[in-house]
Amino acid sequence: MIKDGDFIAIFNSIHRVMEAERLLKDQGLKILLIPAPRTLAADCGLAIRYAEDVRPEVEAVLSEAGLLPRDLYRKVGDNFEKIGEKQ
Amino acid sequence: MSKLDVRGMACPLPVVQVKRALEAAQGEELHVLLDDGAPRENVKRFAQGRGYQVQEEKLEDGFAFTITGAGAGAATPAREAAPAAAAGPTVMLIGTDRMGDGAEELGRLLMKNFIITLLDLNELPDRIFFVNSGVLLAAEGSEVVEALEELGNRGVEVLSCGICLDFYKKKEHLAAGGVTNMFTIAESMLKARSVVRL
Repeated sequence: MIKDGDFIAIFNSIHRVMEAERLLKDQGLKILLIPAPRTLAADCGLAIRYAEDVRPEVEAVLSEAGLLPRDLYRKVGDNFEKIGEKQ
Repeated sequence: MSKLDVRGMACPLPVVQVKRALEAAQGEELHVLLDDGAPRENVKRFAQGRGYQVQEEKLEDGFAFTITGAGAGAATPAREAAPAAAAGPTVMLIGTDRMGDGAEELGRLLMKNFIITLLDLNELPDRIFFVNSGVLLAAEGSEVVEALEELGNRGVEVLSCGICLDFYKKKEHLAAGGVTNMFTIAESMLKARSVVRL
């Protein structure tokens, strides 16, 4: 479900992640709400997956709505690399 | 020694055929002819994931696999202890596009999560039947089509009830797995080792 290079945004609340999904879908962005990978345990266990090509748009929409994820990771090989520090 | 030719078959049929043949072979060696690319990769991963050894040989037209009995250290020892052929398959019946009662939006999200989570498990059902609004999960527009295709590649038979597809006007829009009928659904459930109903 998560390909090499995909971004995984982890949220700290079910309501925030559902709101983020709705906003991103309304914009026609290709994202998918998925269970957070077990290694990246999240409070609500949910994450939004997106690919590099839509990353700027996805993050702009989330930022504008005040819905930045708690953590952002990128799949690299078999691992997840944490990207920056999001609030 | 059994032989099987799955060349020319579209995914996930090669895995499904190999799975059935391995169950029927009951530990005997199985020879399979298959196309390079996805069928080769999927069948290899499926067989090795279940603890079988796979020897490959390149042919002019595709590949030949010799699959030998599940050895020690298999990924799914439970399966070895109780071979599916002897104990019956595990069947999952999904009769709704939502999980649990309560908020509709949450129910849809939970169902989607459940199906995607199956991909992280070693022990998978042998068959998943979608009935009633469950068939919407296997139809175009569903967000779990990708996950269902991947389950198919891992040997899970994904089947939707034909009447239900017809009712929801999705007959021409099935996006993952195949179509089945009530006879197969009823028979599989009665022969199953366990039925997981959602």
